[in-house]
Amino acid sequence: MKISDRALKAVGKPLARNEDLRLMTGKGRFTDDFSLPGQLWAAMVRSPYPHARINGINSSAALQIPQVLAVYSGADCEADGLREINHNPVPSTKYDLKLTGKDGGPVFIGTHPLLPTDRARYVGEAVAMVVAQTREAALTGAEAVMVDYEVLPFVAGTVEATQPGAPILWDGQADNILVDSRFGDQATTDAAFEKAAYIVSDVFHIGRVTGVPLEPRAALGHYDAQTGRYTLYAGSGGAVRQKHELAHVLCEDPKNVRVLSFDVGGNFGTRNRAYVEFGLVMWASRKLGRPVKFRADRSECFLTDYQGRDLVTEVSLAIDANGKFLAMRASNLSNVGARCVSLSPLSKGSGLITGSYDIPVATLRSRAVFSNTMPTQAYRSSGRPEVTFAIERLIDKAAKQLGIDRFDIRRRNLVTPAQMPYLNAVGSTYDSGEYETNMDKLLRLADWDGVPTRRADAKRRGKLLGAGFANYVESSIGTPKERADLIVAPDGIEVVIGTQPAGQGHETSFAQVTADLLGVPFERVKITLGDTDIVSAGGGTHSGRSMRHASAVIALGADDLVAKARLIAARIFKADEADVEFDDGIFKVAGTNITSDWFDLARRLQELQLPDFKDGLRIRRDNEMHTPVFPNGACMCEIEIDPDTGALEITRYATVDDVGRCINPLIVHGQTHGGIAQGVGQALWENCYIDPDSGQPQNGSFMDYGMPRFNNLPFFKTEISEVLSPTNPFGVKAGGEGGTTPAPAVMISAVEDALAPLGITGIEMPATPLKIWTAIQRARTSKASAGE
Amino acid sequence: MTKITLKVNGTEVSEDVEDNLFLAYFLREQLGLTGTHVGCDTTQCGCCVVHVNGTSVKSCTMLAVQANGAEVKTIEGLAAGDVLHPVQRAFKEYHGLQCGFCTPGMIMAAVDLIEMHPGPLTPEIVRDEMEGNLCRCTGYHNIVKAILAAADEMRPAALEQP
Repeated sequence: MKISDRALKAVGKPLARNEDLRLMTGKGRFTDDFSLPGQLWAAMVRSPYPHARINGINSSAALQIPQVLAVYSGADCEADGLREINHNPVPSTKYDLKLTGKDGGPVFIGTHPLLPTDRARYVGEAVAMVVAQTREAALTGAEAVMVDYEVLPFVAGTVEATQPGAPILWDGQADNILVDSRFGDQATTDAAFEKAAYIVSDVFHIGRVTGVPLEPRAALGHYDAQTGRYTLYAGSGGAVRQKHELAHVLCEDPKNVRVLSFDVGGNFGTRNRAYVEFGLVMWASRKLGRPVKFRADRSECFLTDYQGRDLVTEVSLAIDANGKFLAMRASNLSNVGARCVSLSPLSKGSGLITGSYDIPVATLRSRAVFSNTMPTQAYRSSGRPEVTFAIERLIDKAAKQLGIDRFDIRRRNLVTPAQMPYLNAVGSTYDSGEYETNMDKLLRLADWDGVPTRRADAKRRGKLLGAGFANYVESSIGTPKERADLIVAPDGIEVVIGTQPAGQGHETSFAQVTADLLGVPFERVKITLGDTDIVSAGGGTHSGRSMRHASAVIALGADDLVAKARLIAARIFKADEADVEFDDGIFKVAGTNITSDWFDLARRLQELQLPDFKDGLRIRRDNEMHTPVFPNGACMCEIEIDPDTGALEITRYATVDDVGRCINPLIVHGQTHGGIAQGVGQALWENCYIDPDSGQPQNGSFMDYGMPRFNNLPFFKTEISEVLSPTNPFGVKAGGEGGTTPAPAVMISAVEDALAPLGITGIEMPATPLKIWTAIQRARTSKASAGE
Repeated sequence: MTKITLKVNGTEVSEDVEDNLFLAYFLREQLGLTGTHVGCDTTQCGCCVVHVNGTSVKSCTMLAVQANGAEVKTIEGLAAGDVLHPVQRAFKEYHGLQCGFCTPGMIMAAVDLIEMHPGPLTPEIVRDEMEGNLCRCTGYHNIVKAILAAADEMRPAALEQP
């Protein structure tokens, strides 16, 4: 379908959301809001060690506790023939970079049983489950389960886990490295480095953080012996995927599994992979004949929600005498944790190492390593903030080294619109974008020209002003298949679709798209999501895929629906199908005064009960779309540092984001704001710190994990740029994650700019006041001693 | 077990409660008022804020028995029938919510702030006063705007005097 701008009445408008009313009045349907009669509670026995052999589990004391009904271990799961969770971690769409094991072999992904029988491989790993009448009794029971652990040496650090002699997590493996792939052209890259006038290199660790959706994860499982069906209430990033994965775990036909995921209290990637507790409550419900519920407390979430980032990148840039980039070398190492749940962060980052710049040749080594830590997963812009940090920080360093202005060096190297579609040196094809225009728009939006004045003003107040800048390009790929059912009833149109929002407003933006495609009022469209008995297929929500995939499949479906409606109208009005015209929601029989709209047609069809159209005015449409899109933009921030305390205040933050077609600017700006906060959080406060001596995670609550808060963030200036993507009907790219992607780079760029007068470089994330203060003290001390 | 009698959203309720039961779970699990959310159990996130005798309270760390005799208002009782409270309307208009999990506590805390804070409300004051409520989706930007907009509508001139 070709989208004509004339038909766009709802698309592009900042319409308030359909979701809001229920969420603001306490009528949301989050997982823990559901309870079933007679439900039991499950609690997990979790490993206190990062690495330990399980020699035995004694549940007799736990079973003595009143109201405790059962204790289950990995051996019980095995005895019942439960299978492992099949995470399918290796990205496999046509355009994903192909990750392999060593020497091009398959990737060893280990296993992920619901409960392990051999070893616990990270602190917090569930090794047994207690089920009781109440949650309190289950938790008390869990404390009474005696696990005979044989403590083993552990390794938590990303680089340490690769080193010879590191404790190995998996039997039969020579080391912990599961992925080792090389991309790009070695010979031409080497040649370019040979003739380079300058080579700039650095090593960065983009640390471990966690998604912290505010709704703690929860699950309510119910097995109905009458029907032989399981029902699971569990918020996730895609109920259809969870249905199939959990059916696999339970050795059950997927049609006997129903997953319900209605309102989801934040996701950010954290919920996109199945959790062991989901399978466990379903299984326990079958064993005990009653519904079983689990609810993690916040500490359990900090410990055992899938975590994010944790990438070490070594990068070098070869540059000629004029500041033109000649070649790049990168080596990226991703810490997947104890079990390989997703390689998306490594893969997505790998395709974008050259950033927004025309770097003719590059080589990349991509590696992934197991460690005794919580598994990592895609998190808010999977893999992209990491590589954006590397290229943008390296360019700032190059600008200084070459004595070129940091914008000039970028302008000399940005990919131009004339080069689009642009094939980068590691094989990604950027679809469209006006990168230099983004930069210019941003500098105006942020009043970059005013930086010197504001810096002088800050100095008068005893503050160090820093201005940070970064460009970015990212990719939105995601599961290639999506399905939509479009159903016209006399009172409205329903769209059933398999994405899974967690605040992104699909019930609003998808309705806007549908309304304009069919020429009906926005208010007449209802979006149905999240119940696998209604939603038969669909790829869920991740990788910024939903708006693009949904608008594409709804556009295709709308074409089918119009075609079917014309047939129906022809039959009803006894006209020739060719004479039935459709325009802007109205069907008209040519040469007559007969007209009808969607709702009138649906009503007439219901009344007439035409045998050829027994299923009514509805269609089901599938779409498979592999081609990725590349959202892009530019970002700046200003900070002021108090040199006496190291305290940092963000005084200005602005972005220009090319999201392709913007369906709802209210929602897209909101997504960008939230994305910024998460990226800034990583740069300044957030860190899943593991004590190197004990292997113990040290962040178990909001008291010891630095969250973005009301009073540590500014208002943001966000501007949307709409360069339509040629890859899909509406020209959608993606929004939101573009807020996160440049944020760590831009914040650290600002910190280094502020501290440059003191000669300080290389502040690591998170750039806490202590780190900044310490660096300032050291710089002053060394300056003083140099002066003596 | 202790019998408590209190008013919840204007309706008197009498219930037997466990002595260690928190108000949040009493509301959610005993009364079925699941609009009050629990995001941390430790008074750190603010998802569970309700009003007890007109003041905002984090209900995850107040015992149900402590609410004996009190008037409790939850998010379910904020709107007057179908007429949304000005703070609810502002949250919708300014897109102050995304996933909606922190929203009930956020709105209840904001209502208390607007009604009780002496002197004008500025973005800085809103940010400092609301610091005990966490949101992971919005970056707070639109929530601050929504609260200020609602305050403009709700606040009597007297409160605006510095």
